[in-house]
Amino acid sequence: MPTASGHGENTSAEDRLLLERIRRGDTDGAAELFERYAPALLRFADRLLSDRAQAEEVSQEVFVKVISRAHQYDGRAEVSSWLFAIAANACRDRRRRDRRAPVVPIEALPEPAARGEGVERALMDRERRDSVRRALAELSEEQREALVLARYHGLPYAEIATVLGISVGAVKTRIFRAVETLKARFSEGAASWNAAN
Amino acid sequence: MECRELNERIIDRLTGDLAPDSGRELIAHLDSCSACRTEAAAVERAWAFLGEDAGAEATPEFMRRGKALVEEEMLRARVREFRPRPRWIRPALQAAAVLAAAGLGYLAANRRPTPASPAPRVGPTPAPAIAGLGENSRLSNLSYLGNGPNGRIGIGFDVTTRHQVEGSPADPEVAKVLAYVVTHNGENAGETSRAIELVQQHYGQGEAAPSPDIVAALTATLKRDPNPGVRKKAADALAGMRITPEIRSALLDALRDDKNPAVRLVAIDRLAAAAKQEPDARTIQSLRAKAVDPAENGFVRAKAASALKTMEF
Repeated sequence: MPTASGHGENTSAEDRLLLERIRRGDTDGAAELFERYAPALLRFADRLLSDRAQAEEVSQEVFVKVISRAHQYDGRAEVSSWLFAIAANACRDRRRRDRRAPVVPIEALPEPAARGEGVERALMDRERRDSVRRALAELSEEQREALVLARYHGLPYAEIATVLGISVGAVKTRIFRAVETLKARFSEGAASWNAAN
Repeated sequence: MECRELNERIIDRLTGDLAPDSGRELIAHLDSCSACRTEAAAVERAWAFLGEDAGAEATPEFMRRGKALVEEEMLRARVREFRPRPRWIRPALQAAAVLAAAGLGYLAANRRPTPASPAPRVGPTPAPAIAGLGENSRLSNLSYLGNGPNGRIGIGFDVTTRHQVEGSPADPEVAKVLAYVVTHNGENAGETSRAIELVQQHYGQGEAAPSPDIVAALTATLKRDPNPGVRKKAADALAGMRITPEIRSALLDALRDDKNPAVRLVAIDRLAAAAKQEPDARTIQSLRAKAVDPAENGFVRAKAASALKTMEF
């Protein structure tokens, strides 16, 4: 199962050391933390926003905030939880802003083109991913956040609760309801889902 | 274990949160209940289905750009915040300065003249009308007196003697001194940034309207300062001001030419906000060009595209 960062006690201690280095102004420490968490944060934001460009911006925003607020980290939560919490808030802000702002369509940014033998495979991967994204889009924002953290980042309930600022019970309820919705959808549309698999 | 507890336990098992005892109960129950086995299989299929989404790939280009921005932010964060000196330190420093000046005066009288003070970091800004202050003079022992009654501020400094300029931020003489401080007083990026912060405190949006001297000092800094962090600071300060044609022009130039993506991002934010209130063809054209420029930094491209999305044409 993919995890937030391959977490263990060592990782946790290393994360705290990296944050300490950032506090002291060590640029290499910041780059290392970025290297360690940017890919996971990018995937997290991309699944919540379904927008690659915005997800990249969110990942960047997280580290800008970490650098300016490193002294505010009180050590009660894991560094990874803190990073995911900042990312979750940034995604919520963006979704709120997008709901308010009148959207004028512009030309979509070009996606990297697949080449040669990989084309068919890339298309199938994309089709499968889109199918999952459509299913995730049917969930409420709260359910999606909790489910994505559990399913894709391997965070335990207690850590998800810290990231989202809710109780463990609320985390379980959100994930339970999300899975119920997906299961119902899966039962209804098994044929089309299977086609994508 | 009862059938109604099934889904919760299955999900706990899938997330790795199921206690060993509960796990054994679950297995025993599934062995004896075919309806629950079917239900469990459905939940597991839905869970497995989610795995079909491998997630966005962090490309080497994304990582490279991200790390470059992180490094820039770290550099910016190193610029220390300006804090007024404690009261007691001023008389002590003045006494020390008098002694040092006496000593240096004696030495200077017995030596050949030294070269003039270093040239300003950016282009010329007219010197305020202060005795002894030339085009390239540097103000020493600069002290900032903060908000006085009715929002008045004061700036104290030495040229050949001690001077103090006091007034409201809208006072042209005060603005002129602050502008001069920005363009001439930074021997290093930290000092220039500190001077820009002083300006920002008093000429932000909703504060006093920026004087032409202040705008000229900031636009010159944005255009010419060699330090990307200082240019970003100047862009931030201009972005915080009421938009004028000069500010718009400076931000458009920065968006087109500045090598620091963080500066270009600030320019996009401010230009887009202004264009939302009052559409501006040059802004829209520049944002469009950035949004589709394959050579542009991905964050800048994405920001330009997002900004356009929020505009009504």
